[in-house]
Amino acid sequence: MSNPPSGAASFVKTSVKQPYIWAIAALVLLLIINLIKDPSYLGISVNAVTGDLSGNLIDILRASAPIMMIAVGMTLVIATRGIDLSVGSVMAVSGAVSMEFMHDAGDGSLGSALMAIALALGISAFLGLINGVLVSIVGLQPFITTLIMMLAGRGLAKVITSGQNTSASNEFFRWIANGTVLGFPVVFVIGAVIVALVALLVRRSALGLMIESIGINPKAARMAGIRPVGLLIFVYILSAVLAGVAGIFSTASVMTVEVAKTGFSSEMDAILAVVIGGTSLAGGKFSLTGSVIGALLIATLDKTIVFLAIPSSATPAFKAIVIVAICLLQSQRVRALFSQRRARTSTPRKEAVSA
Amino acid sequence: MFKAPRFRSIAGLALVGAVALSLSACSASGGGDDKAGDGKDLTTIGFVAVGPEGGWRTANEKNIQDSFSEENGFELKYAPATNGDQNSQITAFTSFIDEDVDAILLSATEATGWESILERAKEAEIPVVLLDRGIEPNDTKLYTSHIAPDNVGISASAAEWANEQFPDGGNYVVLEGPPGLSVVNDRNKGWDEKIDSKLTKLESQSANWSTEEAKSVFETILKANNNNVQLVFAQNDEMGLGAALAVEEAGLKPGTDVKIITIDGTKAALEALAAGRLSFVAEYNPLFGDTAIDVVNKAIAGDKVESDIVVPSVTFDSPEAATTALPDRKY
Repeated sequence: MSNPPSGAASFVKTSVKQPYIWAIAALVLLLIINLIKDPSYLGISVNAVTGDLSGNLIDILRASAPIMMIAVGMTLVIATRGIDLSVGSVMAVSGAVSMEFMHDAGDGSLGSALMAIALALGISAFLGLINGVLVSIVGLQPFITTLIMMLAGRGLAKVITSGQNTSASNEFFRWIANGTVLGFPVVFVIGAVIVALVALLVRRSALGLMIESIGINPKAARMAGIRPVGLLIFVYILSAVLAGVAGIFSTASVMTVEVAKTGFSSEMDAILAVVIGGTSLAGGKFSLTGSVIGALLIATLDKTIVFLAIPSSATPAFKAIVIVAICLLQSQRVRALFSQRRARTSTPRKEAVSA
Repeated sequence: MFKAPRFRSIAGLALVGAVALSLSACSASGGGDDKAGDGKDLTTIGFVAVGPEGGWRTANEKNIQDSFSEENGFELKYAPATNGDQNSQITAFTSFIDEDVDAILLSATEATGWESILERAKEAEIPVVLLDRGIEPNDTKLYTSHIAPDNVGISASAAEWANEQFPDGGNYVVLEGPPGLSVVNDRNKGWDEKIDSKLTKLESQSANWSTEEAKSVFETILKANNNNVQLVFAQNDEMGLGAALAVEEAGLKPGTDVKIITIDGTKAALEALAAGRLSFVAEYNPLFGDTAIDVVNKAIAGDKVESDIVVPSVTFDSPEAATTALPDRKY
């Protein structure tokens, strides 16, 4: 960052300083544990029957895609000192809208799939707009606003499908979640492209800087001429649209929307991914890369629990231990302690701490 | 300055209270006064329900609502839980006691923690009938009757079918609901009691009743065991359907390579059974509204009611059986 980049070495150097280095370490550790259990864990083979690539890594990439979507949206919202608790419900609404539409269309054509996607994303964006307007113009607390949207959204999903789990059949829609492109799962490819676009948008323009400035000090930002209203509405809409994409991903994988289950407690996964990625919940500086790594870690953790056959009653505890360990390692104090031990002359890096 | 936020929070609380009161007042005045002209008083019933959860629950609660209709002389107040939260159920239960309804029907989201509130209902002499979900510890003095299909028996019958199918043993996986629910405990109990020791349990994982999660869990289990799994015991239909998807994705054939057992018997599952994607569906009969009416009437009249009433259920073990049952499947 500060010194001119000289290839991989500098990349490694800057990465090591990032708070999400521990998340990467944990990710590698989990993969190693799986490898010890089964040396062929990382192997990827071609499935003789379906012709697709299959393997545990592919499964992890596929499972991480929806979490990645909501985590990226959540990162930007959190950077503005907000929070979006409604992502899980928006996922359910988006899934319900698309499934209900395709169920009624019933022709399984590409056209109805695209129409369903457009409709789902449109309604998601509208829910995001409501969040954004309530937070920025009306001035409600983000927590309360999105909490209301979380309850209302799930209710809306239930209304759309009249409380039933709705299934539909559509080859293209199914392919989104289950197909592969050049060996990679389509969901992951779409997810990666969307993340790259968002990253380009916020980092190659002043947008990211402005979002950070609102989070670090809203007053100073306003005095510097940054108008928060539009920015806040933008991040909430973006978060909701990304949640809509996640909803499409997760319903497409089984071609069923389960109104009570789709996206249930996904907001927690998203917040977790953001925190693991090193973005402070107090707002300000954010790291999209970190959140993506957080999402990958959560997916790997979920898969590892099943792969190691950890009894279901112990899974929450196992998950908690891993996450607490990562958060501990990331905390300023523990990191400061480490660098003192190493007797470094450099002072511990200061993060933008607000409030 | 100091007063303003405080006043606001008090005002907020008052508002919430007022809304809650007016809501309950609304529903309370709905039936009794209007129907007084008929010369026949409606019996008020409070139904503390679970709310939308899946095909089975929807069928069950709709059946209860339809049975306790005004034509049958009842006024049913339906109170579904908010996102399966026990707290919201306890709140609804308390307000039913305060309204002094004639009887309360309860489908508990969680098995434990009901003692004190049931004690209050008992003091108020309101009979409580448990529907489907039981409570723990199961103190029969606290409620009038528990009407439910027999979870232990149903999963035992599934285990017996599995024993017949795999006389030489095999590997199996259990996909269970969220840990701690009485349904999950009972379905595990019946299965574990009856299953032959020749069949090896590879893993028992929770997939939270969800198709999506079951698919994700089972694809990993298949990989962890190199596809060497012959049987899946899914504790509800949705999870069984998810497992079938995972099996298909792995390039295997559900029904032949991996046999899948599910419990509940919803339409979607019977359709899958008819198509050969599932192998055995044990019904968990949700339609017991008539039994519930009978029990409530007896309890209000002060007659003796049996504390545990088992709803009869059937099993489907072949595509033909499913095809025959499908046309008049109500849920």
